[in-house]
Amino acid sequence: MKILILNGNPDASDTGLDDYIAELGTQLAESGNDAELVTLREKKIRPCTGCFGCWIKTPGTCSIPDDAIELAGRYLAADVVILASPLVNGYLSSLLKNAIDRNIPIIHPYLEAVDGEVHHLKRYDRYPEIGILLQREPSTDEEDIEIVTDLFKRMIINMRTTLKFLEFTDKPAPEVAHAVNIH
Amino acid sequence: MQLTFINGSPRGAKGNTARLMDNFVRGFLETPGASCAVEYVAKHRTDLAGLKKIFYASENVIIGFPLYVDAMPGSVKEFLDVLIPPPQGAAVPALGFMSQCGFPETGHLRFVERYLEKYTKRLGASYLGSIMKGGGEGLHMQPKFLVDKFENGLHSLGKKFGETGRLDKDDLDRFAYPEQLTPEQIGGLLPYVNTRLWDEWMKENGALERSFDRPYRQ
Repeated sequence: MKILILNGNPDASDTGLDDYIAELGTQLAESGNDAELVTLREKKIRPCTGCFGCWIKTPGTCSIPDDAIELAGRYLAADVVILASPLVNGYLSSLLKNAIDRNIPIIHPYLEAVDGEVHHLKRYDRYPEIGILLQREPSTDEEDIEIVTDLFKRMIINMRTTLKFLEFTDKPAPEVAHAVNIH
Repeated sequence: MQLTFINGSPRGAKGNTARLMDNFVRGFLETPGASCAVEYVAKHRTDLAGLKKIFYASENVIIGFPLYVDAMPGSVKEFLDVLIPPPQGAAVPALGFMSQCGFPETGHLRFVERYLEKYTKRLGASYLGSIMKGGGEGLHMQPKFLVDKFENGLHSLGKKFGETGRLDKDDLDRFAYPEQLTPEQIGGLLPYVNTRLWDEWMKENGALERSFDRPYRQ
């Protein structure tokens, strides 16, 4: 499988998540996958400006010329994308959220009914499955986990795909690699 | 009563969030003694520390933003993260939120709303409530009576907030209607939105025939 891991750790001096992802990448490669790591803080990805250029001017391509353009291609080429982030005040880092916001060119602006709600139409035939990997913060409690899990479930519906797993970095990397490899 | 409205829309004063904000603030300012400062996250992006100072110098703050992929835009998350921890010895203002989405149902906003309430607790602020509203996109193509209802609803929420210092839960629920749509309502609405809103915008940009382009190979 082609696996893309997006590392949303904004803090280069806190290597906990980086080290975990490196180990996960090795585990995935050893089990026969093509695993690619992208450290988002090393990329130039500006926040979405809400210009709708990707929907009404150059359909399918963002109007901001930075690394998000190429990242959307890598996202679409993957079978599984792992979104990895430390929890920051109970949600993902702004670094990862900005990258996700910039990925909307891959869907179409038209609206359609999905399970009784209004959502956007698919632009492509298939999208990678999503795995979520989170690092707890000292204040993380059960309520935070419920809230963030629901936010990701909603995001998955709007990204027109399925959630493969949601795990925390307290689970050993080989076990998370196993969760990725299960079909 | 003092209010700082911090507008987190990446489109700034030209966005749909600003339209909600303007009507709310207009109602709020009708109460004698009410004062309101408006700030934009987009303008402070390179100076979030400055916006943090303004936040902690306020008595009441409402942070507004459009829904981006089911939550706040990444640029608003940057700002929320800057606010914690509060400066040493600072009083924490009472905090509320306003959010809108292009989807017609307000139900899409209820997930981030739970986050915002928990965030407020984390910050140690007292929670004013969240003004949530679907159907924030394409107001220009909606019938006048619906736009009036929308704007009058915000005006009275703002006015009552000025008078009482509170956002009443029942008022917020009433304003949020519709929470969900029936399959018949969705079926009636979508062809209209797709052709009158999206197709028209694409036509204006000469992009309609490229509407379904797939620039990336799979």
